[in-house]
Amino acid sequence: MLSTSLSERRLRFAGICLATGLLIEALCLIWATPIAFIIFVAIGGLLIFIGLVVYLYSQAGTAVVPD
Amino acid sequence: MPLATILIACLVLFSAVVVGVLAARPDFMAGRGGKILAFIAMFCLPIFCGLLGFSSEMGRSKTTAFCLSCHTMEDYGKSLLVDDPTHLPASHFQNRRVPTDEACYSCHTQYAMFGGLKVKLYGLKHVFIYYLGTPPAPQDIKLYEPYNNRECLHCHLGARSFEEGATHNADPATLPAMKSNQLSCLSTGCHDSAHDLAHLKEATYWKGGN
Repeated sequence: MLSTSLSERRLRFAGICLATGLLIEALCLIWATPIAFIIFVAIGGLLIFIGLVVYLYSQAGTAVVPD
Repeated sequence: MPLATILIACLVLFSAVVVGVLAARPDFMAGRGGKILAFIAMFCLPIFCGLLGFSSEMGRSKTTAFCLSCHTMEDYGKSLLVDDPTHLPASHFQNRRVPTDEACYSCHTQYAMFGGLKVKLYGLKHVFIYYLGTPPAPQDIKLYEPYNNRECLHCHLGARSFEEGATHNADPATLPAMKSNQLSCLSTGCHDSAHDLAHLKEATYWKGGN
């Protein structure tokens, strides 16, 4: 039970990072300035990277529950 | 804004919503089907969107409008419209010897392996100095390294006007020296009026183009 909730927490954290990163990237694509390019790469890219790593980590030790 | 950029932004936004929904309800991802959906939404889609967006941003960072959006570059933008056929950037821009929407990048990139990446890193340094440092006055801006003839020869090498030009052939040693980068195209007495910000106030400007 504890591992499931931990896994869910990690998934939620990964999802928040990914969603925020994607949202920032979408805004930067619309806001066409040099600083938007930096934010796109530095903040958006970093959040997506963190989200992906946490997602993969959360999946690494999770057993599949049959449908 | 180009339609492609709007579509990419919409796709990225859609992905953010899908990921947001999954993050709000992690129990969706418990079963096999949910895990496959989660893998697509939380791994494949963000990577795809990130690469697509990055490619779009890289393309936009090559545009003339992007370079001239910084206040420091305004005078350089003006120099493209100087009404003087001997003015190097103006004659290239006005006669479309470079694509007008990528005028700065066409001449200031490096046509070598990783040259594009190197100038992008220079660009990042520009933005860093612009926002967090003390940007120099426009006339004090210098190139990071001497201008290489390779950038000129990328287009002009083999062109009749270059190969058979009277001045280029006045001395038989000139052309080989230029091709081997021993004699700069921007040497004094040759094409030495690049941008020439000092004389912009007295210059007249071309009103044509768009």
